[in-house]
Amino acid sequence: MKKATKPTRKAFSERMVEYGKDHTDFVVLEADIGYSTYTHLFGKAFPSRYFNMGIAEANMVSTAAGLAADGRPVIVSSYGVFLSMRAVESMRTYVCYPNLNVKFLSSHGGVTAAIDGATHQATEDMAIVSSFPNMKVLCPADSVSAAKILDLSLETPGPVFVRLMRDPLYEIYDDSYTFKIGGSHVVRQGSDITLVTYGDMVFQSLEAASLLEEKGISVEVIDMYSIKPIDKETLLASVKKTGAVVVAENHQKKNGLGYAVPHYLAKIDCSVPFSHIGLDDTFAESGDYLQVLDAYGLSARCITKAIESTLARKKKELT
Amino acid sequence: MRQISNEPMNSRIERLEAEAKNVRFHIVDMIYKAQSGHPGGALSATDIVTALYFDFMRIDPNNPSWKDRDRFVLSKGHACPVQYASLALKGYFPIAELDTLRKFDSILQGHPVKQKTPGIDMTTGSLGHGLSIGVGMALEGRLTQKDFFTYVLIGDGELNEGQNWEAAAAAAKFSLHNLIAIIDRNRLQMDGFTDEIMPMGSISDKFRSFGWDVLEMDGHNMLDIVLTLEKARLIQGNKPICIVAQTIKGKGVSFMENIRQWHGKAPNEQEYKQAILEIKGTEA
Repeated sequence: MKKATKPTRKAFSERMVEYGKDHTDFVVLEADIGYSTYTHLFGKAFPSRYFNMGIAEANMVSTAAGLAADGRPVIVSSYGVFLSMRAVESMRTYVCYPNLNVKFLSSHGGVTAAIDGATHQATEDMAIVSSFPNMKVLCPADSVSAAKILDLSLETPGPVFVRLMRDPLYEIYDDSYTFKIGGSHVVRQGSDITLVTYGDMVFQSLEAASLLEEKGISVEVIDMYSIKPIDKETLLASVKKTGAVVVAENHQKKNGLGYAVPHYLAKIDCSVPFSHIGLDDTFAESGDYLQVLDAYGLSARCITKAIESTLARKKKELT
Repeated sequence: MRQISNEPMNSRIERLEAEAKNVRFHIVDMIYKAQSGHPGGALSATDIVTALYFDFMRIDPNNPSWKDRDRFVLSKGHACPVQYASLALKGYFPIAELDTLRKFDSILQGHPVKQKTPGIDMTTGSLGHGLSIGVGMALEGRLTQKDFFTYVLIGDGELNEGQNWEAAAAAAKFSLHNLIAIIDRNRLQMDGFTDEIMPMGSISDKFRSFGWDVLEMDGHNMLDIVLTLEKARLIQGNKPICIVAQTIKGKGVSFMENIRQWHGKAPNEQEYKQAILEIKGTEA
């Protein structure tokens, strides 16, 4: 894998400028972090379509609802901690309930903002926003998918929440891949166990799969970039093949993707050994991104351990 | 350009006063039939809302999503019986629908819902969001180069919510001269008098210091309401406009006036009969 030259937040906003040339209807609202989310690029290209609303996220999202009330697409931009919590009622009652065409550019998802500490780490965002009817939730793993998901979010009617990352990681996709609501990609084929993940954890999962390959363990990795709705078909096909599943996410375990996946499998009486990698009912802390990942059990090394113990349970069930 | 009404002022005021009486009747009637709802704040807003729907707003009941229409956001969403009555009397939906208020499967939810009720421009109910929504609508008017006004009716109690002041700053920043906020200053909120629950100081001074033009009016004097709304539309400059309307919670029903308990309570049969008698001058 090639080291990425830019983070998903930048790729998303750069594409916003390109897309904005041919699509003149959408506008962008920013909450005073435009140089961090890179929406300032859009503001420079289209000053009359860019509104800096100051450090007032709740007002920004309710204003977006007013702008979108007659159908106009609106992108609102901030960090995940603020969008998913400070502006949560505006999002739920005034955007999701009337099903308005508002897109949430939500940067610094998970502990990718590690260095800033827990106040700036969005580690409950997926749980919060996934619970709202009408909301779709996406999380690109690299800059190619981030750019494509900008298009997808604007082409999807109604509210869409896009979780982005602070730091550049690795490029996973080339331009031939397509992305859709309720979609996923098998980014590595395997036969012993299914590893479901998204965002920055796709890279950690692929690393874990490589480490385990040396031990003769074959891991199938699914990038579940559509967190709501999930891609049930791909998930089920993979789990039927492997007979075991691990979900790895940079998020609280509680009500994350690791709750959605076994919930679905249980509903269709698909009972397989399951493990969940995520924050275990704890806040993280400041530090180097990889160091924090490892300390809180989210690194490739930690994923390999979870996979090995899950496989041990699978063997036990078979005997 | 908009035409200034050429209706003689006397008949204009008489017509609106009669209409307001009718709106008040339906407010009490629908809340009585639902045995649930918020009469106090609906009655304090009645004369203002009547003037907007039956005189000032450029609207078409046959085309509720008309792009050129004036927008109305009832930020104090619990007062929705006043809006529902006005919409029904304007012909957005049959008056008989008012009897379904708050009932299952009704187009008239406990608080206004955009996608359920023809003529509701935006869902409201959770307090403190209406002004932000109005800012968005006024920006939309500018983006589409349309000359519609956005009216936002705000309760004085809900000004406790800090988001109002975020919106007030934004409206001034963007010079939203097409935004008219009206404060229903009835001095009562759910738990008591506004000055006791959370003193907000001078509302007029606050809006003025945020960069708004501020007008004041008697929210139950139809002539004053008409003259002030006219002035708000004609005022020159680039500031958003705030009208502070002095009102009485429960106005029009003597035993409800200025009584905290009538914020969210339905009348019983005897109270209903008394209220209708006071509003209509004849028995129910």
